[in-house]
Amino acid sequence: MNFRFPVFDLPAEAEALRIEVREFIAGEQRAGLWRRGGDFATHYDPAFSQRLGARGWLGMTWPRQYGGHERSMLERLVLSEELIAANAPIAAHWIADRQSGPLLLRYGSEAQRREFLPRIARGEIFFSIGMSEPDSGSDLASVRTRATKVDGGWRINGQKVWTTFAHLNHYAIVLARTGDAGESRHEGLSQFIVDLKAGDLKVRPIVNMAGQREFNEVIFTDNLVPDERLVGEPGNGWRQVTSELAYERSGPERYLSCIRLVEATLQCARSNPTPRIREALGRMSAKLMALRSMSISVAALLQNGEMPNLEAALIKDLGNAFEREQIGVFRGLRTELDQPSAEYLAALAETTLYAPSWTLRGGTREILRGIVARGLGLR
Amino acid sequence: MMKPSSAQPLQPVLSADPVVQDAAGRAFADLAAGWFRSETSPSAGATHQQRRQTLLQAVIDLGFADALPSPEAREAWADAAVIVRAQARAAAPIDMAVLLVTGDRPASIAQDPELYECPASIDEPGNANAASALALGRCLQICAAMEAALDLSLQYVQDRKQFGRPLAKFQVIQHSLAIAAEEVAASAALTDLALACMAREGCTSARLPALLDAAAVVLGHAIDVVCDASHQVHGAIGFTREYALHRHSLNLLRWRDHLHLLRGGELRCAERLGDAALQAQGVWRTVTVLMKSGDSHD
Repeated sequence: MNFRFPVFDLPAEAEALRIEVREFIAGEQRAGLWRRGGDFATHYDPAFSQRLGARGWLGMTWPRQYGGHERSMLERLVLSEELIAANAPIAAHWIADRQSGPLLLRYGSEAQRREFLPRIARGEIFFSIGMSEPDSGSDLASVRTRATKVDGGWRINGQKVWTTFAHLNHYAIVLARTGDAGESRHEGLSQFIVDLKAGDLKVRPIVNMAGQREFNEVIFTDNLVPDERLVGEPGNGWRQVTSELAYERSGPERYLSCIRLVEATLQCARSNPTPRIREALGRMSAKLMALRSMSISVAALLQNGEMPNLEAALIKDLGNAFEREQIGVFRGLRTELDQPSAEYLAALAETTLYAPSWTLRGGTREILRGIVARGLGLR
Repeated sequence: MMKPSSAQPLQPVLSADPVVQDAAGRAFADLAAGWFRSETSPSAGATHQQRRQTLLQAVIDLGFADALPSPEAREAWADAAVIVRAQARAAAPIDMAVLLVTGDRPASIAQDPELYECPASIDEPGNANAASALALGRCLQICAAMEAALDLSLQYVQDRKQFGRPLAKFQVIQHSLAIAAEEVAASAALTDLALACMAREGCTSARLPALLDAAAVVLGHAIDVVCDASHQVHGAIGFTREYALHRHSLNLLRWRDHLHLLRGGELRCAERLGDAALQAQGVWRTVTVLMKSGDSHD
């Protein structure tokens, strides 16, 4: 086995930050600024994101010169897990902070870093991901959206789908074909920063099975993207997309999606905690500790400059399976509760409706298990 | 990516170097390793009861009964754990014929209760620390045996061909072993967490029992996943005495029973963890407290 998850302590400054974040969340809740619910991909509140930005809690790990705060990956992990455990409205900034910003930091031009990163860190601009297409899901290398070089820029034609919050966000990082796929099928792909507010794109809603509009399809018809919006090198898109998957697959959003239902059950059960409830809470806690320890380990390895993509894929598959399993367990406890609260019923409905998306977004379980199998030497 | 902001790399809690550095550490490691060996190999003429007494005494002699006395001893314990793990992985000194079969008569768990009797109930005052040390030792052995079973399986599916290709080329086989590997990784992570806790805070650490309860629950499930996947990909050969897999899977089943008995039963482990969350401010708050390393008990 080639996996390793060495044990790391959270440093004192990270635990100090936890107290600060909990006080902040309690204050927000006392003030009635938002209600617990949703997750990193659904609970959208730009004003909340801006309040985080004002506290220096966006772009936390980035260099100061780009509006960042030069704090560690472990501090960012603590902030993330506390916000997610409270179901705070983090969806507006989540992708920009976790993914688009780090991408620009690593591959973007100096001008792009100066233009976008400080605004992301202030919570002023939000990003979508433009990867999936009607005929390209897990097989991302098959994307057909094409960017053709013209004077001064690139002309884009094609269609993106499942583009979360494209109707609200400011920009999307779009993966498009700019050259031949080559034998590996991974060549000839490039990433572009596309302005979603320019008004020249067709953005159409796709309502999900929970009845919410988060998804969109985005249609490109000869849309011109200027040269300075190409990210990194033309043709280097695949490597850019896949090089930092450890950031997006190892975090608490991959194993805490069920936490609202679990805590709601616990609150209802305090008056009469039956053995079944105690057992379920205990089993949940046990696996959660294992996952969290692995997640802290990956964050520490990232902080040390390593890129544990394999370990991250493993965490996501294990974490997604765990959080989905908990829905069934805690649904089954309904008749054990003296009086299921409105919060329990709301959490049960919400998590049940959204659970199918958990094992899809950010890499399906089938793709992740393939990555783990490759790490085991089976592929 | 820009250089990470902090100049000093973070150091993992447990040393990644399996080499025991100093003479004291080696001596300690030999003691601990010998203890585990004696527990799993038949000592001529000794009854189960006598062997258990010997073990219990060994645990106390090793200083597990109280908090490990010094930082050096804790370091040495962590080093010893690596050796214990390596030995369990090799499964060398263990003859299941003696342990599970008496004569020609298979002895099931039910038929030989003494074999599985708990040597130190955690409910008895004074025994709790020894039981914690034993339980952690079992966790280390279980992790090692799961890794060994998985490694055997990984090799086997690459060697064995059916339908004109190695079993490893079938996606269903790949995913089955990937799931098993994930459970092994989770088990090792939790075991290392408990090991780090004991190595630094000693047997009397207030959070150690909860970490061991969590390990008992997670490892208990992982053993089912790993044994099921390993035996399934091996086919009939894995079910024989002539092939090595049974040594690991039988050890796993046996060590799991012992681990759970040491903790008062798997269900009790889960319930105690649930109670901790109910008595505190919920699951999340409890988990963050239990996983936070405390001060040394020096």
